[in-house]
Amino acid sequence: MRVSNKAVYDTVTQNLARTSDAMFRANQVVSTGKKINRLSDDPVGLVSVLGLRSSLEYIGQLERNITMGNSWLNMGETALTKVEDILSQAKALTIQMSSANVGEKERANSAEIAEGFLQQVLSLANTMVDGRYIFAGTNTDTAPFELETVNEDPDYRMVDYNGNGTEFSIEIAKDIHVGVGRDGESIFGSDDFAWADPNTGQNNIFKTLIDLKTALENNDVPSIQTTMGELDSQMDRIRGLIADTGSKLNRLDLKANIIQDLRLTYTDRKSELEDADITEAMMDLAAKELAYQAALNSSAKMMQMSLVDFI
Amino acid sequence: MAGIGLVLNTAKDGLLTQQYAMNVVGHNIANVSTDGFSKQTAVIGARTPCPYGGFIFGRGAELQEIKREMDTFVETSLRNSTSGYSSLTEKEIYLSVLEGVFNENSGRSINSQFDAFWNAWHDLSNNPSGSAERAVLIESGALLSQSFQDIQNDLDRFDLELNLSMDAGAQQINQITSQIAGLNKQIISMEITGNANDLRDRRDTLIRSLSEYLDVNVFEEGEGHLTVTTGRGYTLVSKTDSYDLSFESGRVRWQGSSGSVDITDTIKGGKMGGWLEVRDEIIPKYKDELHELAGAVIWEVNNIHSRGVGLKGMSSVTGTYAVSDTNAALVENDTTEETSGLAFRDRISEGEFKIRVYNSSGELVEPPAEITIDETTTLNDLVSTIDTEAHLTASVSDGKLTLTADSGSGYTFAFSDDTSGVLAALGINTFFKGADAQDITMNDALVKDRDLIAAGRVYDDGLFYAGDNSNARSLAALKDEKVTLNRYTYDGDSTSGEDTFQGYYTYLVGSVGIKSASVRREQEYAEVVVNQLTEKRDNTSAVSLDEEMTNLIKYQHAYAAAAKLVSTADEMLQTLLATR
Repeated sequence: MRVSNKAVYDTVTQNLARTSDAMFRANQVVSTGKKINRLSDDPVGLVSVLGLRSSLEYIGQLERNITMGNSWLNMGETALTKVEDILSQAKALTIQMSSANVGEKERANSAEIAEGFLQQVLSLANTMVDGRYIFAGTNTDTAPFELETVNEDPDYRMVDYNGNGTEFSIEIAKDIHVGVGRDGESIFGSDDFAWADPNTGQNNIFKTLIDLKTALENNDVPSIQTTMGELDSQMDRIRGLIADTGSKLNRLDLKANIIQDLRLTYTDRKSELEDADITEAMMDLAAKELAYQAALNSSAKMMQMSLVDFI
Repeated sequence: MAGIGLVLNTAKDGLLTQQYAMNVVGHNIANVSTDGFSKQTAVIGARTPCPYGGFIFGRGAELQEIKREMDTFVETSLRNSTSGYSSLTEKEIYLSVLEGVFNENSGRSINSQFDAFWNAWHDLSNNPSGSAERAVLIESGALLSQSFQDIQNDLDRFDLELNLSMDAGAQQINQITSQIAGLNKQIISMEITGNANDLRDRRDTLIRSLSEYLDVNVFEEGEGHLTVTTGRGYTLVSKTDSYDLSFESGRVRWQGSSGSVDITDTIKGGKMGGWLEVRDEIIPKYKDELHELAGAVIWEVNNIHSRGVGLKGMSSVTGTYAVSDTNAALVENDTTEETSGLAFRDRISEGEFKIRVYNSSGELVEPPAEITIDETTTLNDLVSTIDTEAHLTASVSDGKLTLTADSGSGYTFAFSDDTSGVLAALGINTFFKGADAQDITMNDALVKDRDLIAAGRVYDDGLFYAGDNSNARSLAALKDEKVTLNRYTYDGDSTSGEDTFQGYYTYLVGSVGIKSASVRREQEYAEVVVNQLTEKRDNTSAVSLDEEMTNLIKYQHAYAAAAKLVSTADEMLQTLLATR
């Protein structure tokens, strides 16, 4: 068949362009370390990669949520443990002071201790994390408990609750929320607290402590004994809450572990889809280089030949 | 007359013929790298013989014709596949740019902006009163809107560039067709005496360039002139006349002898065909889908946001969407022609919402204003209803609703329990403003006062709290919510389906990649076909130096032999003359 010079040159140009393009692409894979450098390289794989990237972002968010929840719950647990501690000290005080061996003066002197308990519980009930009150329901920016004197009578005191009844919660998985803050009123009670335990008559820790102080000042042994009973049931309730907080912490830990596993799985899968196998990519590049060199070599030889040289 | 004179004459003709043939070889060698040149062949034939002395003597050779080597079939196939190939090449170029626009590895990837946006709501739900969280949310909302607008602007630039290209393309086509008409004229007059080979080559080259721009049909007519029409038969060149194309306001028009015709939709091949497909089918699909997505994001976010409350009540609020007819029912009614003109009017349904008013110390003013929207409620009705409520004033200016609490006494108000969607549709207490990817932006009121970002909701008792994250949580949950979204085809048809925002967007990006990959494959295939045909054409028509060198020697020898004949005849005459 007749072959024209133009056809020879054109074919050489096209072949060199094709092989150098293949080499360029192979090089791009090696230098970026990615299999997918353009959308069209693997549209289907890319769609999965985008989904995985988004899932990883969400997981990162859940981890942040859990970290935040942990700090709230830990703080809450610490505060409740201290409250329980104080209550048991208060109970010890009631036992000691209701004894017949103790005199009026000693009772009056220990009233200050009871006042100290009250102040400590009040301060614990107003515990903050990152500037927010954890026992205030969702009204987190206002101190939930406030000790007030009624009618300017120093002996008539009560504690107001400024929070609300919705506990502050965070998301730990899609549509799963865990309450990390608490409705303080259901723990500590307040003067306008409607709910009361029918067995013990009332569940207002502040009132119990205020009553204790008043009873000690007035040397009122029967009242001291009443507060002793109340303190028992309150300690029970606080212990229940501490256990509840502990189980919530466990739940978060478990979730954090699951998330860590998920992160690993997602990252693996994503890498499998978009990252190049470097060994394979290098081999590919070497093969393409060889093809290019061979094309250069044969083209150069072919273009040099002409009858003109022999005439 | 078959004497020595005949021998001399034959020798002379032989010399001339070889010399002519040599001329043709020289012409071929000189044009070895001329694009579109067809190799010419000197056709040498024996002259008509003459009878003499009872014999028929040959009278030597003559140059009968200078022929142009070409294959019409290959030429036509090449022209047609060139049209297709140019169209695909242009599409491939624009699609690879489009891939760059939707590049998910770049910083403005909408997908990662979405993640950042939803995470910002999560962070806000973890710390509803946090000022930093609010600032981040504003920032990520603005970035998301910006990304939508950037992509939309890039797509608009495609239109602009394509129109410029097509304008230039139409001019190029006109230039080519007028040159073809001119060549037709020259060829007709020149071919009275022989083959106008080089002019024909030039004309064929022009036809090939023309077919790069659009699909054409070409017929050769009796006098050697070509008639050129578009693929659908609109005449571009007829004998010595050419008819122009014009490009006006985005449409290609054919300027025929009896007026102009819009032929935009009939162009299917060449660069023009490729550009038109990109402009009228590919880009619109992605624009429509982006608008659809942005519109849905705006609506869904606004709808939840408008039911919530920020860290404080509002003293005044103005809607971001304008009503064109304040006397039209707000609930879209299919039977009457009237329309409120709101961007999201079809989302409003019958329902109600509450406005709570608070005094300067944040205490609730009872009772809450309960506003009912039924199928006949107009914006004017709404204004007069709200106006009767204590401590509230409502007004409309430029179609936008404004609510103001009594000034001076520190009253504020908040919205809740909207079951009609009318607040979001009017742009009251909303997060975004705008209606599509072109104009999506943050609501200025929130940018100015971040405390108005509605992370919480008004509780049933009418109060709201700084630590309430219920609304922020609902907004963060939108990430996984499936919403109804239309998907578009390249023909502009749409089908409705359910998907999450990011699912929809990912699918969109995937379809850009799939389209681009398939066009690239088609283009690669077309390139192979064009290359093969070009090679075929060149092997028939282009110059082979080896062949020309062989011919050169052949004719040289023939020339030398003819010259020898002259000298032999001369010797014979000398011999004759010497015989005395």
